[in-house]
Amino acid sequence: MSDLRELFGDLFDDVDGILLFSPSSSYYERFDDLDDDDPDVILVGPENVHDADAYVELPVQFEDASDRIEFAIEGAVDEGIVDEGDDLLCALGLFADDVDSLTRVRANPAEGSGIYELFVNSRAEPDVIRAVFDVAIELGQKGQKGKPVGALFVVGDAGKVMNKSRPLSYNPFEKSHVHVGDPIVKVMLKEFSRLDGAFVISDAGKIVSAYRYLEPAAEGVDIPKGLGARHMAAGAITRDTNATAIVLSESDGLVRAFKGGELVLELDPENY
Amino acid sequence: MLPLQALPDGFTLFQEPVVVALLLLVVGLALGLVVGRVNKQILITAGVPDAVEGTPFERTARSLGTSTVSLLARLTSWFVYGVSILAAIRVANFFEAPSFWIGVAAFVPKLFVAVVVMILGFIVADKAELIASERLRDVKLPEITLLPLAVKYTVLYVTLLIALSQVDVNTTALLVLLTVYVFGVVFLGGLAFKDFLSSAAAGMYLLLNQPYGIGDEVRIGDREGIVQEVDLLVTRIENEEEEFIVPNRKVFEHGIARMR
Repeated sequence: MSDLRELFGDLFDDVDGILLFSPSSSYYERFDDLDDDDPDVILVGPENVHDADAYVELPVQFEDASDRIEFAIEGAVDEGIVDEGDDLLCALGLFADDVDSLTRVRANPAEGSGIYELFVNSRAEPDVIRAVFDVAIELGQKGQKGKPVGALFVVGDAGKVMNKSRPLSYNPFEKSHVHVGDPIVKVMLKEFSRLDGAFVISDAGKIVSAYRYLEPAAEGVDIPKGLGARHMAAGAITRDTNATAIVLSESDGLVRAFKGGELVLELDPENY
Repeated sequence: MLPLQALPDGFTLFQEPVVVALLLLVVGLALGLVVGRVNKQILITAGVPDAVEGTPFERTARSLGTSTVSLLARLTSWFVYGVSILAAIRVANFFEAPSFWIGVAAFVPKLFVAVVVMILGFIVADKAELIASERLRDVKLPEITLLPLAVKYTVLYVTLLIALSQVDVNTTALLVLLTVYVFGVVFLGGLAFKDFLSSAAAGMYLLLNQPYGIGDEVRIGDREGIVQEVDLLVTRIENEEEEFIVPNRKVFEHGIARMR
């Protein structure tokens, strides 16, 4: 065993913090006797079940481990729990629910994709963005009557978005008070997604309109080639306004999020 | 005469007050047991164990090796036991001064109600405190913990009043104190929340009739911009430089100008 310790020892040398991803209670309690000289322990998970002082909330259980780590590190840096350039040891479950993998990462949010920003520092409230993701993921899983559908949600900065778009048809949400996250909404959005156009959702989660044709200036929008008009519109509107756009692709079924004109996150609904 | 001789034995047995009293006692004990059991079942089906989960009262009960539900069930049993014992004593005519026992018999149900009210009061107070502190958990202010405590002790005070008046204790002074307290809360609360109330009333109209919606360009007073959000209390208006959060009562005060 000492050989293995020697071989892998450099993984643990001079670690500034330990990120624990959704550990079980018994696993978490192992870290109780660490004293002040030891690295800080930071809990990452959907809920602060162990009442940890240092905690980063995961809004979505990212299937991709690197997304999960990136989100946690950006969150920890943003909350001032770790400093930029710190070496962090991440303990997470890659193949099982329990912790089964260790990886050493240097906190460098400047190079990150801005996943944390997408959820926490968007104009819209984090709960709203999460709810829209839920809707998009569910739409992607089930489709409309078995057929794949596409959808475009523009979240936040709704006043400006409304002024940079025009209606394609009568707005079914006019004078209504429907919020994303309301139980009936998923069915409604599924029905309305049959028609083209974007859903516009306000900062507080009110569904302002459906069937909007977005008219942003698309100059200088750089999104991966091969994505269609829907993605181009999503990228462009987030460049032109402070909104976040969440797109469900009709052709490949992936859910993508755009912010500031750039693709920030890509999720496969089949993995949830 | 022969048949009559056989009867008197049994006949007088039932006439004997001690026997009747014993019988009453036995029936009372059995009834108490059954009532306790049934009560426990009813409380469990009504979801009481879930409702009291986590309250300090339940925790205290647990540490004493019981629970709120079994405590309440046992209390009803004891009540029936007590009544049957009193009835038995009365029938058996053990004591010469019946008026004293009549007084006791009249007092027992009141005491029972008072105890039940106190238990309920403790549970409701704890529950109210829990809910209040849960609601305020996001507000990270140390002084905010006073509010749930105030809620708890208000509920406790009211239950104490009910319980005391149940056992015929004079509560007039306490009642006056309560009146002053409630008046203070309502009066000062109304004074403090006056703007909130008028904003909410205006917001109600704005939400129902929607004279302007998200995306419209409006002017309210000297504030001009695109409407970003309308909720019950405020309207958010934004232009290139500034974002205004306008209380809805201001919308009514100044009126709305929709820009074309």
